[in-house]
Amino acid sequence: MGSYIIKRSLISIPLLLIISFLTFVLNNLSPLDPAEVVLYAQGVPKITDELITETKAALGMDQPFLIRYLKWFVSCLQLDFGNSYVTGKPVWSLLGPAFLNTLKLTLLSVIAIIAFSIGLGVICALREGKWMDKSVRGVSFFLTSMPSYWLAALMVWYFSVKLDLLPTSGMDSYKSYVLPVIVITISFAGVYFRIIRSAMISNLNEDYVLYGRACGLPEKKITMHILRNSLQVAISVFCMAIPIILGSTVVVENIFAWPGLGTLSVNSILSRDFPIIQAYVLVLAAAFVLFNTVSDIINAAMNPKLRKDL
Amino acid sequence: MSRKMVVILFAFIVSIVLLAGCSGGNAAKTGATDQGKELVYATAKDINDMNPHLYPGSLPAQGMIYESLVENTEDGIKPLLAESWNISDDGKVYTFQLRKDVNFHDGEPFNAEAVKKNIEAVQSNASKHSWIKLSTKIMSCTVRDEFTIELVLSEPYYPTLLELSMTRPYVFISPKSFINGETKDGVSGYNGTGPYKLTEHKTDQYATFEANENYWGGAPNVKKITAKVLPAGETTFLALQKGEVNFVFTDDRGADSIDVEAMNQLADSGDYQIIRSEPMNTKMIVANSSKTGHPVHDTAVREAIWYSIDRETISKKIFNGTETAADALFSSNVNYANVELKKRGYDLETAKKILEEAGWILESGSEVRTKAGNKLAMKLYYDANSSTQKTQAEFIQNTLKKIGAQLELTGEESSSIANRRSTGDYDLLFNQTWGLAYDPQSTISAFTSESSYYHTTSGIAKATELYKKIDEVLVSADEKTRKSLYADILTIVHDEAVFIPITNGSVTVVAPKSLQGISFKQTQYELPFERMHFE
Amino acid sequence: MKLFKLIWKDKLAAISLSIIAVTIIAGIFAPLFAPHDPAEVNMELRFAPSSWEYLLGNDHLGRCILSRLIYGIRPSVLWVFVALAISVGIGAILGFVAGYFRGKTDAFVMRVCDVMLSFPGYVMILAVIGILGVGLENILIAFVIMKWAWFARIIRTSVMQYAEADYVKFSKALGVSNIKIIMKHIVPVALPDVAVISSSSFGSMILQLSGFSFLGLGIQAPNAEWGMMLNEAREVMFSRPEIMLAPGLTIIIVVSAINFLSDSLQVALDPKLMTSKHKLQGQTVASSAKLQGKEVA
Repeated sequence: MGSYIIKRSLISIPLLLIISFLTFVLNNLSPLDPAEVVLYAQGVPKITDELITETKAALGMDQPFLIRYLKWFVSCLQLDFGNSYVTGKPVWSLLGPAFLNTLKLTLLSVIAIIAFSIGLGVICALREGKWMDKSVRGVSFFLTSMPSYWLAALMVWYFSVKLDLLPTSGMDSYKSYVLPVIVITISFAGVYFRIIRSAMISNLNEDYVLYGRACGLPEKKITMHILRNSLQVAISVFCMAIPIILGSTVVVENIFAWPGLGTLSVNSILSRDFPIIQAYVLVLAAAFVLFNTVSDIINAAMNPKLRKDL
Repeated sequence: MSRKMVVILFAFIVSIVLLAGCSGGNAAKTGATDQGKELVYATAKDINDMNPHLYPGSLPAQGMIYESLVENTEDGIKPLLAESWNISDDGKVYTFQLRKDVNFHDGEPFNAEAVKKNIEAVQSNASKHSWIKLSTKIMSCTVRDEFTIELVLSEPYYPTLLELSMTRPYVFISPKSFINGETKDGVSGYNGTGPYKLTEHKTDQYATFEANENYWGGAPNVKKITAKVLPAGETTFLALQKGEVNFVFTDDRGADSIDVEAMNQLADSGDYQIIRSEPMNTKMIVANSSKTGHPVHDTAVREAIWYSIDRETISKKIFNGTETAADALFSSNVNYANVELKKRGYDLETAKKILEEAGWILESGSEVRTKAGNKLAMKLYYDANSSTQKTQAEFIQNTLKKIGAQLELTGEESSSIANRRSTGDYDLLFNQTWGLAYDPQSTISAFTSESSYYHTTSGIAKATELYKKIDEVLVSADEKTRKSLYADILTIVHDEAVFIPITNGSVTVVAPKSLQGISFKQTQYELPFERMHFE
Repeated sequence: MKLFKLIWKDKLAAISLSIIAVTIIAGIFAPLFAPHDPAEVNMELRFAPSSWEYLLGNDHLGRCILSRLIYGIRPSVLWVFVALAISVGIGAILGFVAGYFRGKTDAFVMRVCDVMLSFPGYVMILAVIGILGVGLENILIAFVIMKWAWFARIIRTSVMQYAEADYVKFSKALGVSNIKIIMKHIVPVALPDVAVISSSSFGSMILQLSGFSFLGLGIQAPNAEWGMMLNEAREVMFSRPEIMLAPGLTIIIVVSAINFLSDSLQVALDPKLMTSKHKLQGQTVASSAKLQGKEVA
């Protein structure tokens, strides 16, 4: 197991390197000259060519591409993503808290999604093709077809305005979590529910089930077996769900004025604050790779067969 | 294997719950405001950096914390941190007697030494302050005694006191908050002398200001003011209805967080009152005349745009009559602005004629005019947080289409738009004049400032003449010459149509009914919170 | 044709198919269907309620909401479809090549896919908008950049399985050229799989595009787009909720129709398409489900 963990982790390192390189290249594609942008940000009123050359030298931008990349990469490892063009504050001082706020929202939503999709997935798989299965699936299709912001508006109108139960926006108390979590859960639970359901069904058709039934094992026990095997699917899927949702809360955060990554990234785009956009992409892609690695390791821990795959 | 899995699963869930549990930490703050004691105002943007010698911060918030030497009021310049002053006969030396009972929020005494340090800190970052001409005129700043300070200018400059009264940069922060004797690279605290102190700031969430009990003008009545970050529009409207916020006002960029209809709805509900200031400024579209080879460089195009804006409809339908149509850069009640200028009303036929005469031809079958292969297409930038700007932009886009001009609209954050204005990376953008205290002298002196309207004005034929006149008018001591110079300046920019006026804007406040003493300053950037009280 | 009949039997699928067909036709021939010019501003009719002339009422500039909905089909559905087709096209070519020839080509293509798939979709789209600027075409570009890798992966798995089939081996032994084998024996059988996976992506792409437009990062005024219409309606979300209704419901109906159709397509073609086939390749249920999970991004 230990060697598997090491091997699997080593594999993700080149991936992280490639990602960081791509992010760096991406930023260099931006139509604005970074030196010029830095000068704007400092509010320098007249930008002359000499000033640009000077700033370039000061920022080390006259150096070869690869050296610039290496320097940038090393500073990123120390969470130094440079300063925001707009506020001049270090990027991490803005990104860090936003990341935490979004993470809280994401984890709570993932728990809710797990509860719903596993619960309904198991029930529906056991009653495949029956009335219950069909209607839950129908509803899930319908719910996933709803634009989340529309749903959010509806919820705010009903729960916050009509019933006056919950705050409309912001992140003031535990109550603030309720609506965003519900909206995220609804827009994702349908998808994950279907994945769990089909994993369960394919397990149901496995030989061991047939064998167990033939041997007269009680149905309850067989279900437990299936459940255990399906949980493996669930865990790996949900490990992936965390970074995915982390990156997809943009719209929901915007509606609920959540001070998270989504709000930050959209604001940065609208104010053309490139260092923040770059750091945002890098951090989330890295999170994506890390969670992916973790999910593989957990899977391998549960299923020794998989360890040989590497 | 099964036990192992259970353990792993359990660990996974526990860690998630623990992590999520961290969120319980700030659960103490409750949603609804404590009506009758405090104000919670909605703001579309975070208050940002409160360093008073730089520009990213929110002006109304800085206005609560910091104060200037003198104050601009309806009746002219009045004392504030300076009790009295005198000006030498040659107009070059200003001597201020400071108040003796003022302390910074951190307890440091406010004295001549502190004033000197602050002014020098501003001067050492001169390139950023070029829009305020005083920064180029200050030669030295000397401490005469503990409470007397002397300002020496390179030449007489008549708006000196006006510019010293502005919300920034000539305001005072405790020298203890300086970093390495400077403020340009940030400050270690936001200790001003004003009626409120910044006590808490959570970026993109809220900022709390508490009354300065030791304020020299007497502790303010409203003890706590919170600036809550909320997206403009319906979110803010809802929050007002529910009492999560109880105060909104036109922000420093001239954007209202809720529209007129929503305001009226709140007033009708009986909990809120709407208070509007006198018209304070002119909302306008600014054209980048310095873009040679581009349609906006052409005076005829700018004039045609001027003729194609239906200001009456904008005023009646978009602003529900709360803002009036504007025909010139400054309304005639602004000092020196009572000048006879050619009126350009809404007239699409004239607009078309002007374009035809200037060589912009509409080929049959095409929708956009061209001139020498150049398409009559321009970009208009608006503040993404202002719904009225967006609606106006779309409305104007539609009428321009009728005269064969194509307008591309882009909504951006105000900071990005400010950047575009100072770097000239725009065709057209929404803007507003700077308000009573600044008009016309500061707005006009900003015509020459690279960080403001230089790109707007530098491409016109008479640019050199314009700049010469602006330099003259600001140092001229004779009222009559000043008048005629201002008239010339206003005529030049009017004829060149680089500032295309739309409406005259005012500051609007929506406040709880029980809040009294709501008044306005001579600037649209600040509200005198310290004068407000609950009944 | 057989497929069509199968779907036609399923009532829900038949309704879905009709909705999609009507939407596409209305979008292509928008000028014929729309009662008014979608960009025509009439401030007198600002927020006018529905009338016989303007069936769904008027928006904040007095424009006809119905006409805007119909013209909105073009960016909201048709352009998304184009982006989908391009990314499926790229994915299919690479997937076929990788799955059929295996070896180094396969390894290389799959590593590239791994890298692409390690950027979460939303984040990538935001990155592209951040760099290229706000606009519909940039989101579509981002869609293509993001989605092809996912399609390549899935199509490769499906092709690999058919490439192992006896008749393919037989043709190879007979010396039939690779291209011919692919065109004759693999494309026809793999096509239904491609149809299923691309249809399941279609709905989520429409939703994503409208989401970005809603945030003001998508199409720019005065063009009509559903997400953009909702963005405009948001200004008056609680004072005039009815304006939110029409574009919102339109999105729900069209996306539901696509999702239902995709589902019944899957059932009609092979009840356990995703899972059973992958297992033939020695892949685990877990990893295939994981790939499915990734698609959500």
